[in-house]
Amino acid sequence: MLIYREKDNLIHKLHPFTILAFIGVVLMLTLVLSHPVYLLGLFVAVGIVIIAADNYKEWKVYLKYCSALIVLIIIFNAIFSRVGETVLYKSPRLPLLGEIRITLEALAFGAGMGVRLLIIISVFCLYTYAIHPDKVLKLFNKGGSRSVLIIILATRLFPLLMKDFYRITEVQRCRGVKLDTGTRWKRIRNLLPVISVLLQSCLERSLQLAESMYARGYGSGDRSYYNRELWRPRDYLILVGMSMCLVIGVFSTLIGWSNYNYYPRLSGITGREIVITSIMTLTLMIPAILNWGWNKWPLLRSRI
Amino acid sequence: MVYTMNNRLVLSVVIATALLLLGMVVVPENPLYGINWALASVLIIGMGILTFFWQFEKQEVNSKDIALIATMASLAAISRVPFAAIMGLQPTTFIVMITGYVFGARTGFMVGAVAALVSNFFLGQGPWTPWQMFSWGICGVIAALTSNCNRLNLISFTIITGLCGYLFGWIMNIWHWVGFVYPLNMTTFFATYLLSIPSDTIHAVGNIAFSILFGKPFYIILTRYKKKLTVKYQDLSN
Repeated sequence: MLIYREKDNLIHKLHPFTILAFIGVVLMLTLVLSHPVYLLGLFVAVGIVIIAADNYKEWKVYLKYCSALIVLIIIFNAIFSRVGETVLYKSPRLPLLGEIRITLEALAFGAGMGVRLLIIISVFCLYTYAIHPDKVLKLFNKGGSRSVLIIILATRLFPLLMKDFYRITEVQRCRGVKLDTGTRWKRIRNLLPVISVLLQSCLERSLQLAESMYARGYGSGDRSYYNRELWRPRDYLILVGMSMCLVIGVFSTLIGWSNYNYYPRLSGITGREIVITSIMTLTLMIPAILNWGWNKWPLLRSRI
Repeated sequence: MVYTMNNRLVLSVVIATALLLLGMVVVPENPLYGINWALASVLIIGMGILTFFWQFEKQEVNSKDIALIATMASLAAISRVPFAAIMGLQPTTFIVMITGYVFGARTGFMVGAVAALVSNFFLGQGPWTPWQMFSWGICGVIAALTSNCNRLNLISFTIITGLCGYLFGWIMNIWHWVGFVYPLNMTTFFATYLLSIPSDTIHAVGNIAFSILFGKPFYIILTRYKKKLTVKYQDLSN
């Protein structure tokens, strides 16, 4: 039921902290940097890592929905923003909307925002498809063992209750309750008793769970935990690359290099941004590069 | 006593940091001015959630509480799925609120927050997850604060679930506004809130309907279960 599927490549075998840190760094840089060249660089890096993780198929679906949203954002911004100077199209006076001026700057701004949204969605795609949720939760085990236990239990119970739900609807169907036909209102009304039964069966389950936990000595003393995840050289390599990228990104934000003015006129793109962006993209691409080496080069595979 | 002092200290530190962050974003003439509002707002919301979770970690909890929270959260999460076809109409808010009403603020918040997180493992995580966690958690807390220990006041509970339908939308709107809308000013702010009225109304009406239909049976089932959970030892030696 979980949408995560383990795949045989380096990115799926990284320490969960490394990949979480990767996602965190990209998210933070996306929100902090506003220059479109930097954003494009980040997008390229994330895209290559997703493809290296063999999640291109899932990513495509995200991209499809996201691009529809981006087109909407660009259109809305172009229609409602009246700040730019380079006018591309001027409409006659319309009722309600008034005069519509579509400017190059507004289009560019919409596109810039769109790239930012694209990166955020892609990063969450990576999070959903490249890390097992349990591995993430285990990371927080030391600090918040109870909350983590609750989340893990609830995740485990989800498919179980789903099965319960189907079981109860099956029973209802056998009794002649129509759950698939009839008007929408009737279907909802027939669905209601199912929820009530589900509550009772799930509370019963909860009591059994508590008794079983109690019988196994939950809460009787300090709990023991073990950690199967290993830190390997690959994790260190990727973390070093990422911290370099983070430092460069934050530095260029503080110094003002990553600012970009869309309005009133688009500002130019200098060589500096392109150089910095390529360095940042390269450092962020390290997981993908290592993955390539991991596949092609048995010696490297044994070393990292 | 030391324990409560410690609690208050951490709480005030969190509030101070949140205010400082808010100030840094809003007040001009400092390096963080104009930093992305989406980032700042997510950080503030995240601190709110972490404070509740931290409180939960510190308090005394037994296996029954843990099992109850996990099961109710899972039930609230799964109830998002069959009704997902009708946008906004989902019993999740109602289940979170009735749990908070019967079992108290701590359980209410945990059930709301965990339900949002867990259902998103199956529906897809995104930047909206912390916002949903916070909104549903707060719904649970509000229900708990308005509860009248031993009796169900169905009318007031129904009204509160209706209001929470709107409140949920209003908190989520902040995210929509800082995340997708430009420019960030009062006009677009109110426009975002105006646009969300229909879906919020569906949510509120759904909550009211669920409360009228299920309020009483759910309350009876949950209180009976609560009695089962609480064991009192009586000293019979003398």
